[in-house]
Amino acid sequence: MGKKHNEGKMDRGISLLVSIILVFLILGIIVFSVSHKISREMAASATQNLHESLDLIKCTIEVILNKEAEYQKLMAKGIASMEEPEEYVRNYTRSETMIKIALIRSGETEGVSSTGEVFTEEELDFSAGGTIAGLPVSQSYLNYMGTWAYCIKCPVVKDGREIASLYIEYVYDFFDKSLPEGFYNKKAMLYIMDAETERFVLKPKGMGERSAGHLNLTDFYRANDIQEEGLREEVEACLKENKNIMFYHDVRNKNSLNYMWSVNDGTLYLIGYVPIEAIQQEGRSVNQHILIVVIVMLIAFFLCCLIYFLKQRQQNKLRKEREAEREISNRRLAEALQAAQIASNSKTMFLSNMSHDIRTPMNAVLGFTTLLDKDAENPDKVREYTKKIMASGQHLLSLINDILDVSKIESGKVVLNVEEFTLNSLVSSVDAIIRPMAEAREQNFFVEVTGIKHECLLGDETRINQILINLLSNAVKYTPAGGKIWLRIIGLKQRSDQYEHIGIEVQDNGYGMTPEYLETIFDAFTRAENSTTNKVQGTGLGMAITKNIIELMGGTIEVTSEVNQGSLFRVDLEFRIPKGQTDKLFWAEKGISHILAADADAEVCDNIQILMGDAGVKVDAAHSLEEALSLLRGCESAHDGYHAVLLGCNAADTDILQALEKIRQEAGDRLPILLLTEHDGEGMETVLQTENTGVLVKPFFASAFKEKIKEMQAGLTPSEETEEAENNSLEGLHFLAAEDNEINAEILREILLLEKAGCDIVENGQLALERFEGSKEGEFDAILMDVQMPVMNGYDATRAIRALERADARKIPIIAMTANAFAQDEREALNAGMDVHLTKPIDIELLKKVIRQYVKKDE
Amino acid sequence: MKFFGKSGISKPEIICTVGMLVFIIAGCGKNGGSDNNLIILENEEKQVVNLFSPMEKTEANVENVARSAADKTVMLAEEKLGLTVDYVTYTAEDYQDKTYDDVTLDRARNDMDDLYLLNPDTLRILAEEGKLKDLSGLECTKNLRDVVKAANVVDGKLVAIPQEVVAYGLFVNKDMFDRYNLELPQTPEEFLECCRVFQENGIETPVGANRWWLETFVLAQAYADLYNGGNTAAEIEALNSGESKYSDYMRPGFEFLQEMIDKGYVDAEKALVSEAIEGEGEDFLAQKTPIVMAYWGAANTDTAYGKTDFEMLVIGFPSSRGQMPVMPMTGFGVGINAEHGEDAMAVLDIMTSDEALQIYAETNRVISPSKNVEVECVAALKPLNDRIQENVYVIGSNASMNVEQWGNTCLIVRDLLGGATVDECMAQFDRLQEEALNKNN
Repeated sequence: MGKKHNEGKMDRGISLLVSIILVFLILGIIVFSVSHKISREMAASATQNLHESLDLIKCTIEVILNKEAEYQKLMAKGIASMEEPEEYVRNYTRSETMIKIALIRSGETEGVSSTGEVFTEEELDFSAGGTIAGLPVSQSYLNYMGTWAYCIKCPVVKDGREIASLYIEYVYDFFDKSLPEGFYNKKAMLYIMDAETERFVLKPKGMGERSAGHLNLTDFYRANDIQEEGLREEVEACLKENKNIMFYHDVRNKNSLNYMWSVNDGTLYLIGYVPIEAIQQEGRSVNQHILIVVIVMLIAFFLCCLIYFLKQRQQNKLRKEREAEREISNRRLAEALQAAQIASNSKTMFLSNMSHDIRTPMNAVLGFTTLLDKDAENPDKVREYTKKIMASGQHLLSLINDILDVSKIESGKVVLNVEEFTLNSLVSSVDAIIRPMAEAREQNFFVEVTGIKHECLLGDETRINQILINLLSNAVKYTPAGGKIWLRIIGLKQRSDQYEHIGIEVQDNGYGMTPEYLETIFDAFTRAENSTTNKVQGTGLGMAITKNIIELMGGTIEVTSEVNQGSLFRVDLEFRIPKGQTDKLFWAEKGISHILAADADAEVCDNIQILMGDAGVKVDAAHSLEEALSLLRGCESAHDGYHAVLLGCNAADTDILQALEKIRQEAGDRLPILLLTEHDGEGMETVLQTENTGVLVKPFFASAFKEKIKEMQAGLTPSEETEEAENNSLEGLHFLAAEDNEINAEILREILLLEKAGCDIVENGQLALERFEGSKEGEFDAILMDVQMPVMNGYDATRAIRALERADARKIPIIAMTANAFAQDEREALNAGMDVHLTKPIDIELLKKVIRQYVKKDE
Repeated sequence: MKFFGKSGISKPEIICTVGMLVFIIAGCGKNGGSDNNLIILENEEKQVVNLFSPMEKTEANVENVARSAADKTVMLAEEKLGLTVDYVTYTAEDYQDKTYDDVTLDRARNDMDDLYLLNPDTLRILAEEGKLKDLSGLECTKNLRDVVKAANVVDGKLVAIPQEVVAYGLFVNKDMFDRYNLELPQTPEEFLECCRVFQENGIETPVGANRWWLETFVLAQAYADLYNGGNTAAEIEALNSGESKYSDYMRPGFEFLQEMIDKGYVDAEKALVSEAIEGEGEDFLAQKTPIVMAYWGAANTDTAYGKTDFEMLVIGFPSSRGQMPVMPMTGFGVGINAEHGEDAMAVLDIMTSDEALQIYAETNRVISPSKNVEVECVAALKPLNDRIQENVYVIGSNASMNVEQWGNTCLIVRDLLGGATVDECMAQFDRLQEEALNKNN
């Protein structure tokens, strides 16, 4: 279609071009013929003008000659009547015209002249036979004044008899005064030639170039290169026949019209030339003007074309821009529509999934509750049912938490809580959660930490934890039994001294993902398989939450995966290194500056060296038991000896206990020896009973090492921890609880009863306030306050309680127990005067811990 | 602006339309003149100066450099004075015609023109007849070289001012001299020897001559000592007083010419009827004749020897003092009764000003009469120029001598060519000297 349109456009363009060329061609032909015609007519007219000019000059000269002759005749008559004509001649004073007069009596050869000397006719040549008005005229000659002259002879007749001859000398210079001062703008050259001698006798002023001077016809021919024999002969013939002629010939490289004009029956000739350009000057001028008009018209035409073209181009450009804009806008609309459809689909799918996911555990809760009601008398069944109800409840809670998380992230309400944390605690907590999950699915879980320089960092540990648990729990979920899962924490090249650059890799050899799914994996409300057909349960929000948190931290996440080959997630994060966090002082205080690390894996030893090097502790690495023993033997003196030994379980081929024994023999009883195991000290009970011996779980962290050294030196035993747990007991405490929901109130009462604690429950804040006002001092150990309640909410009630003028009003711990789980809810609660904020559903252990903490503090 | 915007007319369109309108209106405008149908022509009084000078016979499509140089100075004067200089020219058709000098004399005596280009002999004759104005009051004379002034002063009046110092020399075909292993001659004897060798080698007439310039040989030999011996003023005084004889000075040169004629080194008959350059130029350019004589400017102009197919050099004439340039002075004089005398004086003043002479010298590459104008000469002229720069030369026409030299010697040499004996020629000099002495007495 487009091609056809273009072809049509091209055809139109070609026909337009052809039409323009045709119009110009016709115009050109017309202009050329008109100008050619004008040139011809002007040239003919110019030639005619030249003809007339030459005729005019000719007539002028002939008139002068005839007048001279007529006057001479009159003079002769006068002389004839004189008594003493000789006297008259002698006394004659020359005039401008008649330079000299002379008289010779008939029959004599000598006479008198006005110049005084004896006059004879010998000096004059009348042989050519030329006459003027019937009087003989001599050939031209240079007279006594050095100028060209001619002489007319006139008989002096008295009484019918010729008594003498009167000779009068005339100069050609006189003609000059009567001739025009040049013609054809002084471009025309003119000489007066004596026909008999062919001498040029006068070049009238203003006639042609003044620097050109010619002697005679031969010189004229030579100077003007008129050498063609044929032409010369023709010209000569014409001259003999007294004809007027014109011919074209180049003169000094200019095409010229040469002329030879007979005067006085051919005794004189006008010789000269005029350049054609001078003749055709007017014609050329007209043509030039025509040309200018044509050029102006052409310029105007092309200007119009240009303006039209520019305007068209501008309009095309505008049209194209508008089209492009429209196209972009359409595309955006289509994209928006598609996105809306996808979002709608996703959300529909999500709702469908949620409906299914929420209904499933709810069904379990309700179903088991029904069964519980039925089998209430069977304690075993009751326990089994409650366990299942608990599991379903937990699952429901995780679903709700995820949805809330997504909602918070999408609305930009997530704020990172940056605090100091150690990679040790991070890895430990993650390990503690994931390893049991993996083991439950008979999967192998490996944790590797390499190249980390600083393990104590600044960041939001909870969120990092969330990231790792999301990734790892997915790995566990999507890896079949017997599969492998790796968590690698890799120290990357630092971009700045102030930041630790960490790469986190989570890899599994599980089901993997299709390329299509990889494209949407980080979008919210998507899941690898529809939950209705999949055994795996989840909200489909985990990866979206993970990606958003990583981006919030300024990091990146990428994933590679192949179906049935497994997946690899790579997270790239930077954490600020806290200032002055070095543990150098601790190690110096403990007198540990030199340790031995023995592990078959060189990477483990390198890690230890890196991490401990930062703390100022020198680490010697041994990759076998023998090497370790040799190093121990090598440094016997106390000051350069080892202050601790880290022994990897794979350092020796033999049983680790035997290896430990050998080391102990070399190192002595007091040297702390820590066994590096892959997981907690399961099966290491014997080892732990040995003095100055402990277990460190891989991966190695300096902080864990530090804690272990602390423990070993303090002699802390696990039984103390148990004691600590027992201290959290709520037995004997009495609480005031404000809770509007009866079920929740009931649950709370029952839980507290289980813990052997007393509780007064009121329905709203107002009642809580009143109850507290009415109570004795010390009657309640703490107030458990719901937030959203009728009459008076928890915040107002707290403020009112804190405002009471009672000694314990400000001291009594008020614990918010609310379903409002957002950070601002917590902030608001604390602002209202509450001591701590706990979210529903109530985690009884957490509640116990918190209550004990605040109540203890008060005590 | 809004109006244009609304109507869709853009700025370029308005500019173009207005431009075209202006163009059309300007084109249709009247070109002066009265509102009525009447054309009035002013009668302009034309200021004219007539200049009489020779006109060389021209060749087709050949530029006459000498003429161009003079024309440029004339145009400068016309421009500055706002007048027109009209040329009146004459050139003899052949030897039977009146010479340019004869015509000059006739015209000057009859006050036909205002400015005349005068040869040394006519200059002296006209000055003695009182037909020329005294030019010493002109501004340009302040810049003239002393030698130029001295050569043009007659009876205490500066009667002519030249546009160039004309130096005559021998134009030799260096290739031909080299071909026969000949050194360029310094003395008359060496010159004759060269001619002999050329003749022996088949060049029948080694020296090309015309009826005008053979006297240069005579003058070079005659006055080499007088002008270069350090006693010039006294020797001239002795000649003017009659104590010394011009014929004694002239004799060696005439005898030298006689020998040349006798031995056939010069074709006397041909020379006697030959015009300058016309007669001998063709053979010289065709390398048939190795030696000719001519004036400085001939080496610069294509109408003479400006373009040769061989290496040409211009040297001085042979003399007892080596190669000797001969420098006659031609100059412009103003007729005493010139119709436009004042204008002619003004024109001449500009034509011979430093500005004009600079233009002239640069165009024609000649020695300038102004001491302020220096122009480098063409390579061929270097030997001659070197001698002039050394102040070694003979003045061909010295107005302070009471017998005119240039013209008279020329005429008497023609007699020699015509068959007169050396003694007869010397007798003519004696007669001229006697006439001069009588006139002064």
